[in-house]
Amino acid sequence: MKRLSRGLRTLADCAPIANAKAPDRRMRTAVSRAKRTEDFAAQQSFDRAVAKLVQATPVSTEIQEWFANERMAEGAKRSWKKTALHPAILAIGIALLVIAVVAWIKFDEQMHAFPGTGTAKKLLNVAAMTRPSEFEPMQTEAGTLNDLFFMKYRLEHYDVPPGFSQQRTIGVRVFDDDEAGQVAQISLAEKRMQLFLFPARRDSKSGKPEEFEGWRYIEQEGWTGAVQARKGVLFMAAVRGPKKDLAPYLSKPKE
Amino acid sequence: MTGEASKAQDIFQDTLREAAFLAANGEPPADRYWFFREARWRCLDVVAHGVQPEYGANESTEVSPRAPEQIEQLEPEQLAVWISAAPEPQRSALALYYLDEFNYREMMSMLGLKLTEFSRAIASGRREFQAWLNATVPAAASE
Repeated sequence: MKRLSRGLRTLADCAPIANAKAPDRRMRTAVSRAKRTEDFAAQQSFDRAVAKLVQATPVSTEIQEWFANERMAEGAKRSWKKTALHPAILAIGIALLVIAVVAWIKFDEQMHAFPGTGTAKKLLNVAAMTRPSEFEPMQTEAGTLNDLFFMKYRLEHYDVPPGFSQQRTIGVRVFDDDEAGQVAQISLAEKRMQLFLFPARRDSKSGKPEEFEGWRYIEQEGWTGAVQARKGVLFMAAVRGPKKDLAPYLSKPKE
Repeated sequence: MTGEASKAQDIFQDTLREAAFLAANGEPPADRYWFFREARWRCLDVVAHGVQPEYGANESTEVSPRAPEQIEQLEPEQLAVWISAAPEPQRSALALYYLDEFNYREMMSMLGLKLTEFSRAIASGRREFQAWLNATVPAAASE
């Protein structure tokens, strides 16, 4: 046995007592190599003698009666339904489901993200928190405010899109935001809607405004925003409610 | 494992009762290994509450070709007492191994041992038992 490698000797030391029971090739190899040594034969004889002695252990009649049917010790196989309903399997399943849902939501968010999503979401919060008294009262058509923004604040291309230009305003304010820059916020009478105009994010390499085609929706805490980019300025219409409240106002961009 | 037939019988019955209880609750033991694991833990628990053998450095010697003749002269109870006095996990390893019911992978899984640990337990158990045999059945050993 000492001639065997350490791995084979380790296996040969616990070689099956009955030859037929070698469960794998490594064990069969170890047994086959060990058989060439003299002390393995002594080990096998020793083991067989001890096993024979164990088999000769008297069993009381009481135990024989209890153990009348040996097959009962084989255990019962679980059905797949029972396995699936096991609390541990259920917990793992639910956890995987939650992870999948979160991953899908994140993926969906990324798919619908546009340059300026973060700023637009921040401004949705602003919309939710702005009190009417914070606006400078201004009752006019929203479409006429571009002159005010240019003349008073030097804000170029802060134009309200045609779908909203006929809406009556009740207040206006312009403020500086760390992220967004100069933001124009307009409060409308209809549906207590709010309009935002703010600079589009600029590409770090080229310095050009990052724009996108058409309307993009964002949702946050019960508010919905529809965002459009035009001439380096993002326009966002915000309303407390679902997308369908905004849909009638959104016109397709002119080709 | 316990070295006493009456304790072993109680453990056997308790194990079967537990299996019946689980089956009645719709959670029958998944496989036959459950019975041996359960019985083993019950044995260890019973032994832990009984008189503890003194574990020392047992003498050991190489397995003799005459060992089968020596073993033939033993009673099964003597072997049981010797194995029950071995320290864990060697005791459980020897008990399972000489039952000759399982392959080494099954035994390692039931005992939670690595191959080297399991193999060492069996090999050193063999040598220590041979030394004990030589002391207990010297006539055959001396031939």
